[in-house]
Amino acid sequence: MTTIRRRVIPYFLLGPGTIWLVVFFVVPLFYMARLSLESGVVGNLEFNWDWSNFGDSLSLYDTQFVRSFIYAGLATLIALLISYPLAYTIAFKAGRWRNALLFAVIAPFFTTYLIRTLAWETILSDQSPVVKALQFVGLVPENGHVLATGAAVIAGLTYNFLPFMVLPIYASLERIDERLIEAAKDLYASASAAFWKVTLPLSAPGIVAGTLLTFIPASGDYVNAQFLGSAGNQMIGNVIQSLYLKQSDYPAAAALSFVLMALIMVIVVIYIRFAGSEALMGEEAK
Amino acid sequence: MSGAGAEGSVARSWRWLREHTVNIVAALVVIYMLIPIAVIFFFSFNDPAGRYNFTWVGFTFQHWGNAFGIPELNSALLTSLKLALLATLISTAIGTLMALALVRHRFFGRRAANFLIVIPMATPEVVMGSALLSFFLIINTFSLGFQTLLIAHIMFCISFVVVVVRSRLIGFDRNLEEAAQDLGANPLQTFRLVTLPLIMPGIFGAAMLAFALSIDDFVISNFNSGTTVTFPLYIYGAAQRGIPVEVNVIAIILFGVTVAAMGFATWQQQRAEKMASVRPEQEATSAPARPARVPA
Amino acid sequence: MRSHRGKIRGPALVVAALVAAMALTLGLAACGGGGGGIEGGGEEAAETVKTEGQPSGSLTISNWPLYIDKGTVPAFENATGVSVKYIEDVNENAEFFGKLQPLLSRGESGGRSLFVVTDWMAAKMRELGYLQNLDKSGIPNVEANLSSSLRHPSFDPNREFSVPWQSGLGGLIVRTDLAPEVHSICDLFDPQYKGKVDLLSEVIETVPLVMACEGTAPDTASEADWMKAIDKIQGAVESGQIRRFTGNDYARDLTSGDAVAVIGWSGDAVQLQADNPDIEWRMPTEGCSLWSDNMVIPIGAPNPTAAEAWMNYVYDPKNQANIAEYVNYVTPVEGVKPILAKREPELANNQLIFPSKSFTKNCFTQPKLSAEELQNVTRAFDAVVNG
Repeated sequence: MTTIRRRVIPYFLLGPGTIWLVVFFVVPLFYMARLSLESGVVGNLEFNWDWSNFGDSLSLYDTQFVRSFIYAGLATLIALLISYPLAYTIAFKAGRWRNALLFAVIAPFFTTYLIRTLAWETILSDQSPVVKALQFVGLVPENGHVLATGAAVIAGLTYNFLPFMVLPIYASLERIDERLIEAAKDLYASASAAFWKVTLPLSAPGIVAGTLLTFIPASGDYVNAQFLGSAGNQMIGNVIQSLYLKQSDYPAAAALSFVLMALIMVIVVIYIRFAGSEALMGEEAK
Repeated sequence: MSGAGAEGSVARSWRWLREHTVNIVAALVVIYMLIPIAVIFFFSFNDPAGRYNFTWVGFTFQHWGNAFGIPELNSALLTSLKLALLATLISTAIGTLMALALVRHRFFGRRAANFLIVIPMATPEVVMGSALLSFFLIINTFSLGFQTLLIAHIMFCISFVVVVVRSRLIGFDRNLEEAAQDLGANPLQTFRLVTLPLIMPGIFGAAMLAFALSIDDFVISNFNSGTTVTFPLYIYGAAQRGIPVEVNVIAIILFGVTVAAMGFATWQQQRAEKMASVRPEQEATSAPARPARVPA
Repeated sequence: MRSHRGKIRGPALVVAALVAAMALTLGLAACGGGGGGIEGGGEEAAETVKTEGQPSGSLTISNWPLYIDKGTVPAFENATGVSVKYIEDVNENAEFFGKLQPLLSRGESGGRSLFVVTDWMAAKMRELGYLQNLDKSGIPNVEANLSSSLRHPSFDPNREFSVPWQSGLGGLIVRTDLAPEVHSICDLFDPQYKGKVDLLSEVIETVPLVMACEGTAPDTASEADWMKAIDKIQGAVESGQIRRFTGNDYARDLTSGDAVAVIGWSGDAVQLQADNPDIEWRMPTEGCSLWSDNMVIPIGAPNPTAAEAWMNYVYDPKNQANIAEYVNYVTPVEGVKPILAKREPELANNQLIFPSKSFTKNCFTQPKLSAEELQNVTRAFDAVVNG
């Protein structure tokens, strides 16, 4: 292969995808940026470099922002605690059942997001066995309810984003060379020490990827809050949707979207700096 | 262990518990994941007199028999399936090419491309959906409906395809390609006859993921669908007035078909893996943990 | 160890390229001028539909879900030869408006020749110039059969641009076994029902009723009255009195007993009662809200002739009877009750479907607000709903 051809090939391979993403992702974001600097009533918007939308969005909706990040953070944490054992089992102990278990993780996706969330409404309704059991155990007060609270929203978020947490962790666990663990044991490490000192650190890339893939979409989610929460549990995604579709206040909605993205970026950058970025960008081939 | 006879049955069962804790937790998690499916399944047999399917009234197979009896539901489902299929094909093709470029070549702009792939995954759907809507309205080239839905779905699937295929490519043994070339195959033949079949499981996994994302998508579709109704959008609309029981039936059918398809795919994948060693070192050392491989 | 420069260069490149493109786009945009769309047509010179001859071709209709029986569309297609694309994508007035507004502001309707929106949304769209006037010669059945109480609503006194599809009553829906004492809107604020009350999430559905509880007549209320009622609701949210704000999904809460009393619509109550006789619609002592969902023809409608033919068709009492039988809301067409009395006497005697004048004596229609007032109260109410 000639050198020139070899150097040009990657651009051909990348071409279609890059063009698609630039035209249909990057450019729309710019149009939204333009929208965020407009002001006026619907049907009569004017572009006039109106930065007030940005300031307003931070001050008016700070409660929802904080709430969204807290809910998303808790959901991510719980998802991590739940998913890691599952991913571990699938990677190391499942043998023939490995693929069946992986299906069990992905298959609920095919029943559509809304139906799953609505099913949770049934499961968590006040008179359901689940809630009655929780009341019995004392986790829920006698006359209390689970639905229409923050807990229900967090539970819904956790559930709906579990596959995004399980699969990356599984992928990185699966690639661990088991000889390393054996070597640790040969050096008199106990099973748990081998886990904490060898397995867990080696699975770090998967953990980082999983937490990001869960936290980010969860912060912007609105379906769970809409169906499982009450007025005091609405997230920033609900506000954006309401601004866009109910109040037709497009400039404010656009500004709020950018602020959300910016805040997420800040959190992500801090997190990656803390955790190491190769996990997300991927390793390159030798 | 010394003094084996001294270990009481309580201690033994305690030890069994500790050894299997992880497995038990995993089993509980799987049950947790499947509970809503069970509820959906359960209520697909309900027989409400009114339009609401919230409390158990009576048992019937009627809705299973009538699963495809609601025209709006059928057309929404067909639309979703068509959309998902097309979006999957196109995004998988585009994404695989990108993954190949990113993993195997060093070129100027590689990190930038990496970054570009990741950003869509980092953007909340509500932002992407509304931005796309603004964009489509301003450029006014595509009619709001199937076209715009397809474009949107392909867009958000590409990133996921790239990530999945890329992780598969990273573990790929290049020696096989070199061996093929040593035996006289040109680059195109090598790709077609050696590389492609071996990365096919990864591509297939990416395709499945793309299909799942597309068929399940609600937020972005809600903004960009025009008058077209996809399955999730139909359900959202119906949720306002009472979801017909047939929706539960269809959801379970989708679930079942998917599980069957994945089962089939895995069976194929296991056969493919037998024919070529993708990770020779792992196989050699973990032979005791895996069932013995019989040469095909 | 890779150099930091390498790690930053890639993203930096992207950002630089993005900033450059952004400047370009914004620059072009600012020069090119134009913002969200055409200014509204206003009250003057709204286009009037011109019906031409026999209806033909195809007709796209947007309506609310589960608002029509299964036989009407095929029967219409048979009778007229028009092929109908009937879409149920109106889930909420505001959301539908949000999806359609960018198109309407450019004079397009996305292919729709007719859609169905509630009174206040029809008024809002009219004010923005998005609706056409009707050609009355194309809808003689409407002239003949429209129920007298609906002929002169405040937002369209001569029915120039709207024709009711169905009408309904907004009031209380109550679990008689769990909350038998609830008879008024004010009762919803009674602390003994804390956490078991739902309100509707659209401002026009909820606030007028709460204003009635406060003693203010909604038709003549000022913006300050609206704000006072919204404050009262806010207080109830903060104290945990209100469980949540819903669309139709209060039905789920009522069925499971999670809510014992809600503000809800008459047609839903009829459906709920079918499976649970303990669920009952109650006329609040303060009165109820009377609303209609109206058929309107937007600007840019491709086939207004067929749209009017549809309106005419459903205003024939024989055809309307089929719709009324399925939908169970208040039919706007006179002459339906005797037809249904033969088939389904229970429905014919149901006050929720054929309310007598005395039943609705305290009820009020949806109050009319100026665009600016509407925006202000919507914003204030949404702030309460979104916490």
